[in-house]
Amino acid sequence: MGKTIKIAIYTGLVPSTTFIERLIQGLAHNGLHIYLFGLQRRQSIPLKNVFHFTYTKTFSKLFILIKYSFLLTILKARDKRKLDVFIANQIKNSIQLKIKYYPVLYHRPDIFHLQWAKSIADWLWVQEFGIKLIVSLRGAHINYSPIANPELAVVYKNLFPKVDGFHAVSKAISEEAIKYNAVKSKIHLVYSGLELEEMPFQLKKFDESKPLAILSIGRAHWKKGYSYALDAMNLLEKDTIDFNYTLVGVENDEELLYKRSQFKLENKITFKGTLSFTEIVKEIREADVLLLSSVEEGIANVVLESMALGTLVISTDCGGMNEVIIDCENGFLVPVRDHEAIANALKKVSELTLSTYQQITKAARVTIEKQHSSEKMNSGMQTLYQKILNNKL
Amino acid sequence: MKIGLVLPSVPAYSETFFTNKVNGLEEKGFKVLVFVNNANTTHFNISNTRLAPRLTGSFLRVGIVSALRLIGSILFHFNSTKHLYLLDKADKIAFSQRIKNIISNSHILAESLDWLHFGFGTMVFNRENVAKAISAKMAVSFRGFDIGVYPLKNPDCYERLWNKLDKIHVISDDIRDLLYTHGFKDQADVIKITPAINTSLFKSDNKEFLGNKNHFITIARLHWKKGLEYTLEALALLKKESIPFHYTIIGEGIEYERLKFSAYQLGIDDHVTFTGKMAHKQIINELNKADIYIQYSIQEGFCNAVLEAQALGLLCIVSNSEGLSENVLNNETGWVVPKCNSKELANKIIQVINLPQNKKQDIAKNAKERVSKHFEMHQQKQQYVEFYKE
Repeated sequence: MGKTIKIAIYTGLVPSTTFIERLIQGLAHNGLHIYLFGLQRRQSIPLKNVFHFTYTKTFSKLFILIKYSFLLTILKARDKRKLDVFIANQIKNSIQLKIKYYPVLYHRPDIFHLQWAKSIADWLWVQEFGIKLIVSLRGAHINYSPIANPELAVVYKNLFPKVDGFHAVSKAISEEAIKYNAVKSKIHLVYSGLELEEMPFQLKKFDESKPLAILSIGRAHWKKGYSYALDAMNLLEKDTIDFNYTLVGVENDEELLYKRSQFKLENKITFKGTLSFTEIVKEIREADVLLLSSVEEGIANVVLESMALGTLVISTDCGGMNEVIIDCENGFLVPVRDHEAIANALKKVSELTLSTYQQITKAARVTIEKQHSSEKMNSGMQTLYQKILNNKL
Repeated sequence: MKIGLVLPSVPAYSETFFTNKVNGLEEKGFKVLVFVNNANTTHFNISNTRLAPRLTGSFLRVGIVSALRLIGSILFHFNSTKHLYLLDKADKIAFSQRIKNIISNSHILAESLDWLHFGFGTMVFNRENVAKAISAKMAVSFRGFDIGVYPLKNPDCYERLWNKLDKIHVISDDIRDLLYTHGFKDQADVIKITPAINTSLFKSDNKEFLGNKNHFITIARLHWKKGLEYTLEALALLKKESIPFHYTIIGEGIEYERLKFSAYQLGIDDHVTFTGKMAHKQIINELNKADIYIQYSIQEGFCNAVLEAQALGLLCIVSNSEGLSENVLNNETGWVVPKCNSKELANKIIQVINLPQNKKQDIAKNAKERVSKHFEMHQQKQQYVEFYKE
């Protein structure tokens, strides 16, 4: 690599979600310069090669506006005028847009990597200034937002052909994006990766006399399909299978509370609020089975984490989940929206011998090591950046 | 007799149960005051409506409004204010909350009433002593969510209420049963008054609605309670059986994205229309175009829309949630299917589609008759009069 590559990883919020922070760390570690723009919602841990050009509250926004207006006027007056014309033609508040756009224009990264496809219309302008635009294809933004919002679908269809490159989190999501005119040759698959050293595999031993410990992790959003999971627990209970079901990240959700109370499963189903990563690892280790009941996912990180740690996974066959799980080999796959299939799979798991259980979880770890290490994610992403900068995509 | 009705906001046109109730009581010579937190619509004569102090916005604004309300209450309504303060104190409510209660209820403390009636259980929090403070009798209506769902999230939320009530109004027998699961021990009379409709507004000529159009319809907020995801799944099963159909959902709500995606993922997107919100007249038009009305709710107090559909002669398939099995009698005036089971719902829909024409007509006729006999507005109006008179 000749000159240092400057990449803006943009979500609008700094720090962002765990997996995006992980990506930032990995890339910075490999010597790329990472530029962060947007709203600094809390303090970030300082890292080498990571540069913050963020703002916090009103005062700091004002400061950013004045600072970059000045710098751009002095040093890049022509570019500023060009961008100002663009801003003036937008419906959105032009002051807000200047605060958002000026730092990007001034620092001019080589690549602007937009993490959330929904805001694509806000960032296409960077191409006018020689910045390459990469858009990540992740979960909801591709899988259901444009279905419920036909206007967004039109935006995607018009703008996707203009994007320099896409990062897809799964093959399945690439296929979805192609429906919105994303150019197939510009889509680069990079699976998300885990820091596997921080997640040592443990071969599980379980006590068959204890109830089956089932775990789900993720916020109470309809896409997580928890209502199907609860329907499945109702069937298990009727089948007199002894179990405990814990949902982490779900607290005081009316629909789930109501269902649990209707099924009279208060003693068997526990809702827990958000937990720290360490606590989540502990929960996963203590569970016999991790259940992903989602109706839609890119590739769910909790599944990858459980497979790495040695807890068996039952997942619905949604999004890219079947790119990770091969049914009965390294976990179990069930159709989406099918509580009977979930219940049957859980029953099957409760009847597994220890050796079969261990065989499956070992195979799961191998899959993760091969396909979802952070090294692989980082090098995959770097290849994407290189290709784009060399115009090879 | 003067009655105060406490509601979240001025009832919109669709909330017929409140507008009808108020109109009915006024016809019988009662004076009705409506206390609301928000005044988004102006359906009522403004002299009948009292707006709660708006305690949102800047710190300064809230401070000024609070101070004025507090001073006003003490100066002009000293007795009721003092009374509320002492009653709250006896309930061991914290001092700051006692003051807050005076401020947020100042619009009620200013009135003298015979009855103070809370339109939903959830309207009563921090107002448990207000009726007594103004020497009025206290009544609360329980309608479904307030007793079926809310206490699951907030256990013991009605603990302080039960001993203070003079009368409870429920809209179905199931709702009455639910009271007992949340600490009620017969401390007050429970009167059931089911919702009712003005059947003259739902006249249908004996049209060919029982043909084989398989046009299904639901009127519902897009909310998890309404069980629309199960309904869509049932319809996906119909599609698998190559049964042609069209399904119209009238209503809007927070679950639009979920339901739209469900329809898409289930492969029935082309067979489902989400119309959004509609005016009453349009709704009747839509109902008249349909064969079968489906209300497969997970939780439902009673459901006026099902009454309206029956009055129009539609075949109704409903879940067994709370009041629905009282609204529709299984195999007599429609069909009741155990809730949360899309397979059973699908089977029932197929069964109903395949019924002989005369059987369908019998059921529709029974439903129409039962609605006009038991769920007609005049009776309900009379029941409310008796509710306060007894």
